[in-house]
Amino acid sequence: MGRTNFLGEFEELILTMVLILDDNAYGNTVVKAIKEHQNREVNLSSVHITLYRLEEKGFLKSYMAGATQKRGGRKKRYFKATNSGVALLREMKTSRTNLWKLTPQLNFGA
Amino acid sequence: MSRVRPPKLFASFFKWYCRSALRETILGDLEEQFEDDLELYGKHKARRRFAWTVIRFFRPGIIKTFNKTQNSKASGMIKNDFKTTLRIIKKEKLYTGINVLGLTSGFSIALLILSYVYFEFSYEDYNPKANRMARITIDYLDGETLIDQDCESYHLLGPMMKEEFPEVEDYVRTYGMDDAVLRINEESFRANRVYAVDKNFFELFNYPLLKGNTQTALTKSLEMVLTESAAMKYFGTIDILGKTAWVSVIGGEMKVVGVIKDSPANTHLKFDLLFSYSTMQNTLDQRNSPWDSNDTYTYALLKQESQMTQFEESLDRLSTRLLEDETIKNERIIAQNIKDIHLHSHKSFEAEPNGSATIVFFLLGVALLVIVIAIVNYINLATAKSFDRAKEVGIRKVIGSSKAQLRSRFYIESVTINLISAGLALTVILLVQDTFKHIGGLPESFNPIHYPIFWAVFVSLILFSTFFAGSFPAFILSSFKPISVLKGKFSHSSKGTIMRKGLVVFQFAIAIFLLVQTLASSEQLEYMQEKDLGLNAEQVVVVSAPATENEIKKFESFRNELLSSNSFKAVAFSNTVPGLPTSTMGSTTGVKLVSGDDHNFNFYFYFMNRYFIPTMEFNLLAGENFKKNMAGRPVIVNEAAMKLWGIHDPADAIDKKLHFWNSDKTIIGVIENFHQTGVKTDHIPTIFMHSTGFGSYISVRVTPDNINQKLIELEEKYKSIFQSPFEFFFLDQKFDSHFRSERQFQTIFSILSSFALIITCLGLFGLASYTITKRKKEIGIRKVLGASVNQIITLLSKDFLLLIAIAGIISLPITYLIVRKWLDTYAYRIDISPWLFVIPAGFVLVVAFLTIFFRTFQVSHANPVLSLKDD
Repeated sequence: MGRTNFLGEFEELILTMVLILDDNAYGNTVVKAIKEHQNREVNLSSVHITLYRLEEKGFLKSYMAGATQKRGGRKKRYFKATNSGVALLREMKTSRTNLWKLTPQLNFGA
Repeated sequence: MSRVRPPKLFASFFKWYCRSALRETILGDLEEQFEDDLELYGKHKARRRFAWTVIRFFRPGIIKTFNKTQNSKASGMIKNDFKTTLRIIKKEKLYTGINVLGLTSGFSIALLILSYVYFEFSYEDYNPKANRMARITIDYLDGETLIDQDCESYHLLGPMMKEEFPEVEDYVRTYGMDDAVLRINEESFRANRVYAVDKNFFELFNYPLLKGNTQTALTKSLEMVLTESAAMKYFGTIDILGKTAWVSVIGGEMKVVGVIKDSPANTHLKFDLLFSYSTMQNTLDQRNSPWDSNDTYTYALLKQESQMTQFEESLDRLSTRLLEDETIKNERIIAQNIKDIHLHSHKSFEAEPNGSATIVFFLLGVALLVIVIAIVNYINLATAKSFDRAKEVGIRKVIGSSKAQLRSRFYIESVTINLISAGLALTVILLVQDTFKHIGGLPESFNPIHYPIFWAVFVSLILFSTFFAGSFPAFILSSFKPISVLKGKFSHSSKGTIMRKGLVVFQFAIAIFLLVQTLASSEQLEYMQEKDLGLNAEQVVVVSAPATENEIKKFESFRNELLSSNSFKAVAFSNTVPGLPTSTMGSTTGVKLVSGDDHNFNFYFYFMNRYFIPTMEFNLLAGENFKKNMAGRPVIVNEAAMKLWGIHDPADAIDKKLHFWNSDKTIIGVIENFHQTGVKTDHIPTIFMHSTGFGSYISVRVTPDNINQKLIELEEKYKSIFQSPFEFFFLDQKFDSHFRSERQFQTIFSILSSFALIITCLGLFGLASYTITKRKKEIGIRKVLGASVNQIITLLSKDFLLLIAIAGIISLPITYLIVRKWLDTYAYRIDISPWLFVIPAGFVLVVAFLTIFFRTFQVSHANPVLSLKDD
């Protein structure tokens, strides 16, 4: 189905955040990063659901590690973008830039 | 302090529903977020956010797969049952509607009333020591007869008990004062509920201080503690430790040593201002003997709950000893648990008018009746409809349904209807709860849905109703014999019909009872409001008297100032006025009629100047009013006092001598009985004493019309002469306020009865519709054969009306007994007239007839061809 090659706005945001966070991407850090970079409050549950969906679609992979005292000694599920995830993001960016180039360019200068 | 943890309930909820593969990491994330939130937003918001996130996680993808182990066939069957239930609900809109409406009203009414009852029973519950606390009160005796009960006691009793009785752990005294005026930075305020209390008041009544030190507060003289709202009102802030205010009752400055939360809505002793007990020590010490006056509430804290009997025995021995050495006369000291005060204690000088256990139980009973009526409706309609379902049951049985499966089917129907109704009932409760609080006189802060007990009752009501409503149809229907049912040889069982008729009779009997009671209580209320009070309470404005001695001296000039205007007819001064509770009056035993026999009674006192009797328009039956510069010690008494001395003609009482307070007094006048606290209670024996310099109230009789203008004038004149704040009330409104609890009861009762009648009629409507549908063909044939519309209506209505007549015959005698008993609780009550019963019974009959008529009229006018053409 074509759906696998398509990302929703929120999915794209999450995937990008995982890329930005590099080795430190898990539920809480993604929520915080979205708050920090986009000034947008998102619920932990939405982030989790999206992360799992992206993993199912093959754009992310996950592994468990890094238990801390603060989490009651529970492990984190870290996410990393897969090659196809990075490729998809890049592809989306290029296609958007190409589209943008087709719009009549307005000049607001003097 | 222990670490703040995420809400346990939600954490375990999450653990329960989450897939095991995801559980650990998500829970970790949740907890991490919680810790962050804790630092960012504090405990409450962090917990809220945790709960919310857990709820948001409750979605596909996260929730584990349930039912893996369950029998898929059974769950499939239940699913199917739900589906058919929904179909039936959709198809039978009328029946579902009637059931849901009935159950919804039943649930909401029962829950609201139950929360009211719960509140009334929750008095003193906030105090974990309440079970061990007793209030010491005094019984006044005439020989062996009890003549009055007084909840105030002698201030020496507290220390005595602690010293002598091993079971008493501690005691606390609260000495109630009249209104106090506070002056803070040139601004004056009035405080109403002022008590001087022992320092352990906070500990025994379990009131933590918001500001100040519980150990040291109120240990020294001239210290005071304010409630939060008093502090806000007088100072505009609660950071007032160490500030001072000038206080009228003390005549000097007092220091604020603490701020306390407002007293809970469910305590009998509410207060605004607390003084240290030692502040009042001077006043108390000035008395000739500490055993002269009992004017202190004394509470004892027992070491153990079980020691109440032992404590009572100790008090008994103490009474006997004090009586023997003549410290006290004609009285006994007794105790009551403080948890019994609100609903069961109606002594004189109660801190506030208490509630009534009778009314609370009455309402509880009625609420249960309403629920029962609603359930009966369901049973009735369901069994009536069962014949339509007979074929369905037959087929199901043939296919192989077991009895248990069939029963579960009908239970599922009952569950569905009950759950829908319960949901609606919750909505209704949320919508009407503010109105209900207003009617029931409940505090704003009372919120039934915050109490676990509310939900416990809610769930048990649903279970109870589901079970009873579901059981009848389930058992009757599942017992049908498939062969005879399918052959069509199914006969209407006479047993079922009799049961249905019995239930209808039962419902209407209850409805008739409720209506009679409603009518009786409204008549009684009207009677009480219109009864002659023995004085003219209209057009009288009562102004709180100024607080200082200097101001009181200016009374005459204030009076002249007022009378110089056309707006004011009379002005008088007194320590209390009719309409106020007896706690504002003095009372004493030990009044003796010189040359009379040696009985002991409790008398109440008025202190007033000579203008008071004309201002109130009391009726002087014999003798004369007080005059200026009278010799001797004149007193005026009322009829009730006179009767106690065995004098029947007012003229005979004049010039008789009384002996009390160490001197002889002469009766110079007798006034007609008047009602001090409204018509609910009997006339109280009262002695009027003349006084020129003592009083709390100035009563002003104003001329009619344009009352607002006159109030402004009154205030201007008051302020031009006095510095104390101007406060007033209307005398007739004060009298009216005594009916507050009657009016609440009346309103709640009317609402309950209307609903009971509506639900009952709904049921009747459903049953009638059903019967009529069954008899459509019969009616068609009758019409073809020449029956008139009237004949058919009579034919169809007669059975039902007969049932209602039977309901009346059963209900009215029982109702008569209950209503008579209820009316007997009033000192002045209406006579029971036959109309009290005939009108409600007739009304029910008419309403029932109209309900049926609505259906019969349609059918009797229908064209017989329509109902006959199919066969």
